[in-house]
Parts: sequence; structure tokens; C-alpha cells
Amino acid sequence: MSPLTAIITGASEGLGKSFAIELAGRNINLMLVALPSSSLPELASFIRKNFSVKVNYLETDLTRTESYLEIFDYLQEQDITAHLLINNAGLGNWSWFEEKSAAFYKMQIELNVVTPVLLTRLFLAQADSAVTSYILNVGSLGGLFLVPKKQVYGATKSFIRYFTKCLQLELYGSNVKISLLSPGGINTKPELLVMNNTLKGISKATILEPEQVARIAIDGLLQGKKEIIPGIINRLLVLLNSLLPASVKDMIIKRRLNTILES
Amino acid sequence: MKVLVTGATGFIGRRLTLELATAGYDVKALCRSTDHPYLIKHRNIEPVLGNILYKQSLARAMDGCAQVYHTAAMAKMWCRNPDEYHETNVTGTRNVLETAGKTGVERMVYTSTCGVWGPTIKHPMTEHDPRITGFPIAYERTKYLAELEVQNFVKQGMQVVTVNPSRVYGEGPVTDSNTVGKMVSGYLKGKWRIIPGNGRQIANYAFLNDVVAGHIAAMNKGITGERYILGGHDISFNDFFTTLQDVSGKQLGMIKVPLNIIELYSRMEWLKTRLTGLSPVFLPEFAERLKYDQKYCSNKAETHLNYNITPFAEGLRKTVEYIRGSKNKDYGIKEKKPGESFNILHHNSENNQINLICHH
Repeated sequence: MSPLTAIITGASEGLGKSFAIELAGRNINLMLVALPSSSLPELASFIRKNFSVKVNYLETDLTRTESYLEIFDYLQEQDITAHLLINNAGLGNWSWFEEKSAAFYKMQIELNVVTPVLLTRLFLAQADSAVTSYILNVGSLGGLFLVPKKQVYGATKSFIRYFTKCLQLELYGSNVKISLLSPGGINTKPELLVMNNTLKGISKATILEPEQVARIAIDGLLQGKKEIIPGIINRLLVLLNSLLPASVKDMIIKRRLNTILES
Repeated sequence: MKVLVTGATGFIGRRLTLELATAGYDVKALCRSTDHPYLIKHRNIEPVLGNILYKQSLARAMDGCAQVYHTAAMAKMWCRNPDEYHETNVTGTRNVLETAGKTGVERMVYTSTCGVWGPTIKHPMTEHDPRITGFPIAYERTKYLAELEVQNFVKQGMQVVTVNPSRVYGEGPVTDSNTVGKMVSGYLKGKWRIIPGNGRQIANYAFLNDVVAGHIAAMNKGITGERYILGGHDISFNDFFTTLQDVSGKQLGMIKVPLNIIELYSRMEWLKTRLTGLSPVFLPEFAERLKYDQKYCSNKAETHLNYNITPFAEGLRKTVEYIRGSKNKDYGIKEKKPGESFNILHHNSENNQINLICHH
């Protein structure tokens, strides 16, 4: 079988970088996409040196509409068909609604919602129907729970949840497998490294390292799992969420909101 | 010229004060206790009482200094208060940078670690390579965050060069942060008999004298804002103990302990620490690391700083001689009671001084 190629968006840092290394370790060729001057060439050369896979990369801003076509035009020029799409690029934040500008939310919605939808569309158009293609959409447990200070972010991830689940229905029986990844907190960016390490107890236990999440996610994707929730504590929380009555959940969230307001 | 060394009682810092003093610099040695046993006595070394967590004491210490070597860090495997890693390594570094910016300091060398890269795959890591895992080890995480602080100050125009030593070994006190020293001293006493896994896991060992010379070269020749790996040879556990056997003449039957047993043990230790607050011997994040190599390439420092790597056998021989020789000397290392680990020394000291000392 000829080697597979995976497109990874937001590949330069955090979970995206871990996806790149995880897939390279499974001998899957890479098409890395990230913003310019995010050390993407260094990552590409590191992976070429340490693994026996082909690595292409494109430095582009995914909030620009032209960038979606750029990726697939580039692949076509190189005569590469992509078999996996990892919709990983996203913009998170932790702030009250009025603390961020209108421009920020526009960018967040574009990157978290418009980009994965359009990339999925273009990916399916070029997919080889003779072999299995895989799409991994990175959602969030935040798409399932109400989390204060994550109003727009959580809403974009709820969108991804609906979009992914609905596509799973539409693509049932086809040669395309599409998975939703719903991680809890991940130790990625510097500010998260600081914040996550001040957590205690259950909250701390929901946090995972990016390489763990990437390994679990790719395992799940290749097995055709519909939803992948890394971490046993996170799975328990989801189970609990489905069992608890709405009024109790409401109470928990309000209490949580109060502790946030006090701090 | 007047220079300040922070962490002057630490493994790298103390040797650095000696090297600088011998070269004729006026060395101010920042320490939290001026009668600390590891502090080197030399007519060019002036002990200065201070703490990187208190900016006032830093300003006093930096007064008149043209250069600062910031080697102070919390480098132990475990701390009773986990926030100490962030305070000492990140806030402390920010304090040193801020104070240096306000006083007349012209240039600074920041001692980071190869731990900011951590595990490697096939080839030794270079300065441009990315980190491939997260940061479960607090020391590595906070040293990475401290490097970001340094980068911020460099952007504002401060002259700082970062050096990244690998696993440093050599002639210096056997403390909690001196992991190789603990291993060698344990072996010489016949107490360390363990080889993790199949013994083929590779780490990079840097000889103390090389690392100290690398610091001074980085100050003189390093490019502002750049990082330089100060490493040594990539050596497997098997080769490490074969060489140790050769240079020490002491032959011990070593036991290879499978990694899953080490992992299980580390989890029990973690639980023990959680339940009793006693200092752990080994933790799961370190057991996880045993699955990876840690190979680093010092080419950049060799080319640009004339960094020199002492052959491992030669360095290890000197280390063994030092540890054997220092047994009877007073370096503040008390003889261990049976069953007591060196960690405990750091936490039981009456005035808490030793516990607070920053080692590399």
C-alpha cells in the first residue's frame, strides 16, 4: 500500500505538533499548515531527520479564505492525495465576553468554525474513494459543558460537535471515517502550563499532556471511533453529565461561576 | 571587573565562582547564607547575602557589577511545596533580569538546561529542534518558562546569552540536584546496583569544568539572545556503569530492573508522598522519561564558543577521585544514616538553609 498523507492544521505548536510527531511515528507523510514565523520549517526538518516520512509544509493564515485553496493547490502540484485531515487549528481564550474585541471574536469564529468546515469540504472533494479517508475534528469538552469565560469558544466547539455528528450520519457506509476529539485541558501554551499547574484535585486530573492526547486521538481515529474523550476522569465527567438532572448541573455551574467571580 | 554569580553554592555556580576568581575577576557570590559550607573561600570571592526572590537584595548585590551569571535554580527532583519551582526559576529569573536592567549590568549569562528539550528520538537535539513532549517535569517546565522571560528582556534590548547544560557531572558536592554524583557515590558505597530497563537508554553527560568554561565563553563570545547547548558525550546506562567500573576499579553485580517495575514503584512512591508528605525516591514523570533517550549536540558551542568536551572516562575518573577524596573532608555532607536518602538531608536541616539553597 502506498503511504498515506495527513494534513494537520495548526501544526507548529501544542497539540498540532504532537499530532505531527505521532503520525510521523506511524509512517504517515505530513502536510503541515501553520502561521508564518511559527518555527514550522524547523519542525518539518526535525521530523524529516528523525522519521522516515515525507514532510511538506505551508505557512499561511487560515483566517484568509484563499488559504484553503492554497493547501489543496499545493498538494495537487506535488501530486499528493491527502488521506487524513486533522482539523486542529483553533483559537482559545478565557475572558469575559466584553473583555475581547469584535475583531477577536470574528477571527476566533473564522478559525474555529469556518476553517474546519471548508477544509472538510475541499478534503472530501479530493479524497480517493478507493481507500479509507479519515477526518479528525478537534472539539472540546467545553462544547459539551457550559463553561463561564468560554462563551464564544465553547459555542464554536458546540458547532464542531453538531457538524461532526451530522457528517457521521451523512457519510455512514462510505469510505470516510470522521471522529470528534473532545479533550479536557491540555498542557500546551506557556500560559496554560502555568495555569494548569495551579489546579488541584479533580480539576488537575482532567489535564493531559499533548502527546498523550495525540496518541489516544490517532488510535481512536484509525479505529473509526465517533467520539474520542481522552482521560478516564474526563470520560467519567461526561458520564456524570448525562446522568445528572439539569437542575443539579445548573447549580454546579453557578457555584463555579461564583468562585470565579470571587477570585 | 566585578561580576555577580547567583546560585554561588550550587553545583555549577560554585565552580564558576572559583574559575572566575582564578582568572582575576572580582566575584560577588550571591548566597542565602554567607557561611554556607559549599561556598568557596578565595580572596577574589566576596560572599553577598541575598535571595533572588527579593529584588532589594539583588540590587545591592549587582551594585557595581558589569556582568551577571544567573545560575541559581530549583533543580531538585521533588519539592514539598511545588510552587517553589515557579517562584525560584521563573519569578526569580524575572527578578534578576529586571534588576540587571535597572542597575549598570552590561551583560548576562542565563543557565538554562537541555531539559527544555527533554526526550529525543533518533538524532541528538540541536538548538533549533522542537520539544516533542509536554512538560510533566516541573523543573523542565519552569526552566522553559524562564527562557521565555529571558527572550522578553532580550527583545527589549538586554544582552543575555542562554546556555543549556545537559546532565552535569564532575568534581562537586553530592546533593539532591547532582543526580550523577548521587549515582556514582552510591555505586562506590556498593548501594547503587540498579540499571533501568535494558540499560540501552542514552543520556548526555557534560563535565562540570567544560560547562563552567562554556559559561565564561558564552559571556565573552556568545551572541545575545542565542542559546548554546553545553553537553558532553551521549552514553547509555550500560556504558556508564562499564566506564565507572573501569575508572573506579570497583566491580558490582548490577541488576537490570524492567521499566514497568520502575513505573509501578514510582506510582507507589507518588502515593506515599501524597499520603504521608514524605519525600519520594522516584516519581512517575521520571519513570516515563526512562523510555526515551536524551541526546544533545554541542556543535554550535564547539564552533562558536570553542567549547571543549572532556572524554567521559577522564571526567568520570576525576569525579570518582573527588568523591572518594571528599569523604573525609567537610563539605557539609553528613554521613548518611542507614535507610536515609540524601533528599532528607535537604528537608530536615534545622534552620532550613540547606533546603533553600539553589543547586543545579
